[in-house]
Amino acid sequence: MKRRFNFRQALAGLILTTLPLFSQAQTEPIGYVKTVTGEAWVTNAGERVRAQRGTPILLGSQLRTQAGASLGVSFKDNTLMSFGPDTELTVDEYLYEPADEQLKLSTRLMRGTLNYIAGVIAKLKPDAVSVRTPLGVIGVRGTQFLVKAEDEQ
Amino acid sequence: MNFTHQTTLLAATTALLAVLAGCAAKGTGSYVVLLRDPDGNAGKVIVQTPQGEQVLTEVFKGAALDGKREPFFVMQDQLQRDFGAALAATAPLPDLSQKPMRFGGGTNLTNESASDLENTVRAIVASVRAGRSLDISIIGHADTLPPAPGDTNQALGLRRADAVKALLEKQMLSAGLRASEIPPIATASHGDKNPFNKANPADGINRRVEITIR
Repeated sequence: MKRRFNFRQALAGLILTTLPLFSQAQTEPIGYVKTVTGEAWVTNAGERVRAQRGTPILLGSQLRTQAGASLGVSFKDNTLMSFGPDTELTVDEYLYEPADEQLKLSTRLMRGTLNYIAGVIAKLKPDAVSVRTPLGVIGVRGTQFLVKAEDEQ
Repeated sequence: MNFTHQTTLLAATTALLAVLAGCAAKGTGSYVVLLRDPDGNAGKVIVQTPQGEQVLTEVFKGAALDGKREPFFVMQDQLQRDFGAALAATAPLPDLSQKPMRFGGGTNLTNESASDLENTVRAIVASVRAGRSLDISIIGHADTLPPAPGDTNQALGLRRADAVKALLEKQMLSAGLRASEIPPIATASHGDKNPFNKANPADGINRRVEITIR
């Protein structure tokens, strides 16, 4: 069989060889838990740990508070987010490389309550910040805001 | 005012409050509220809803996430009821008050910065001793003067940040912190892209490292 250049194989090879670089970058904390009351959890790639002060937040982390619990985190760009009870939020995108103008902070609030104090990313590039909820998508220009998202049946 | 009048007034007020509370409870649903940030700035919140876009520019104004009503004012008691727990859990504000570290050139601190760094170390050690869970960011910067051949201002900024990190860690240990008590320290470089003196990016004052304690 004649061997021809297979673009798909080449691409797969490229992805495989560069993947470790990305996964290493993703294990770098983008923030930390600063306050907890009650039972709260941080899940990274399916691995769930009970939130304590100092628990790292990674790209893709899912944050969750149980009934009666609350949680406060701070991010590398000084964004602060805190959560009331029965809340679930995922950090979908976090890019903080001002030197390369790589800035992005997208989160998804599935349910519960969120207090959001915008940090440097929102100051440098307002379009880069969003909070998705089951209904509307929130964008922000350098400010503090509160969101309550009820479960959508 | 006699007693009967007071009673009537009280009853009327109670009825009014009940009606207001009823409205708030019924109309709450999913919503977003704009607040002034800790620096006193009120920015803007833009909501894309299934019914179109709503923009909030006034403090305490709220928007329903389903877009089914016009923006509305949110009362203090409702904010407290819905967001009291989330607000009370807010992490401490980042400490941006540490003096920037200055460099004569390369990665050598000026004498003044070396003594400023000791103050920063004292502040960190005191916070750790007080039971705070800290993390620290160190960001290195360069001026726009061309670096040595083969070097870049991006790399130079990172070497400066790493040098300050090494000094911080060493001094925290000397100050009596155990290795396990040293807060996580992240270093980064903004190269020459984020000058302190924007009017003159070549100014030596732009050779610096900024330390944020969170």
